[in-house]
Amino acid sequence: MITEFIAMNGYGLYVWLSFSIVFISCAAVYFKTKKTLRKYEQEFLTEFQTLSLEEKNRALENSKVAQQILATSSKIN
Amino acid sequence: MFKFFSSSNIYSIIQKLIKFIHSIFFLVLIIGLTFALVLSPPDYIQGDSVRIMYVHVPSAWLGLACFFFITLLSILNFIFKIKNFYFINKSIAPIGLLFTCLAIVTGSLWGQPTWGTWWAWDARLTSMLVLMLFYIFYILVFKLLNKEELIIKVSSIIAIIGSINLPIIKYSVEWWTTLHQLSSIKITGSSSIHSAMLLPLMVMLLVFLLYAALIFLMKYKTEIIRIKKKNIKRI
Repeated sequence: MITEFIAMNGYGLYVWLSFSIVFISCAAVYFKTKKTLRKYEQEFLTEFQTLSLEEKNRALENSKVAQQILATSSKIN
Repeated sequence: MFKFFSSSNIYSIIQKLIKFIHSIFFLVLIIGLTFALVLSPPDYIQGDSVRIMYVHVPSAWLGLACFFFITLLSILNFIFKIKNFYFINKSIAPIGLLFTCLAIVTGSLWGQPTWGTWWAWDARLTSMLVLMLFYIFYILVFKLLNKEELIIKVSSIIAIIGSINLPIIKYSVEWWTTLHQLSSIKITGSSSIHSAMLLPLMVMLLVFLLYAALIFLMKYKTEIIRIKKKNIKRI
């Protein structure tokens, strides 16, 4: 029964190859996008740490996005 | 209303949506794959090769839909000069390219057992290849040009010219004699596809939509962080 399912009446190669190509491509794009996102979060964190204490406080007071990015970055690290 | 569209609100919504999609994606994927590979019946002519439809059709639809949105936002950006549309387009384009390439490759894999050939210079296939080229040109503009204003102008021109190809893709099977079959699913009028195949197709479409939304949100979030990083000393 499993052999029949894999063979798909002779079309198995085409069906499984199609699904595999879609799955692998989508997974590769997902992991690449995730890696880029993490890289930018990390770079933001590094850039933020170069600021003086006054600049840091001002950035956190004025930008909720900066607070959220830092919160996410600190969860990862 | 304007407060709702502030960058902090958008960022917070993006994070919530990413979490939500992550939580339901695998469940929907498993349901979709079960329907597509196990529960849906084989076609009476094409046999089990019809199962390729469950990845080919959603890929093609999303490839077309992404370019439609890019064109729409490019036109709106020309009129209203909303910078966010530029970042949205930059995030959508790679997703559209991915799905267009997948539609071409899976179409080729479906073509071999059905038509006896991997490729033919048929109107539908060629117009999809042209769409892929437009995506490549569009993405190259972002990679090769430096000035933002120039990027917006050139990319918008490419999107508007490329949009002429969208109705050609849609109606190519009706205007010319092609190897590709006519549309089985119609928005207006009755569809010729049986519900036993339509349901798995819709579930797989949902899987692809969720995936596309997830990648878009991650890319858009990256763009927000990139801008904030660039302007960190001005905050």
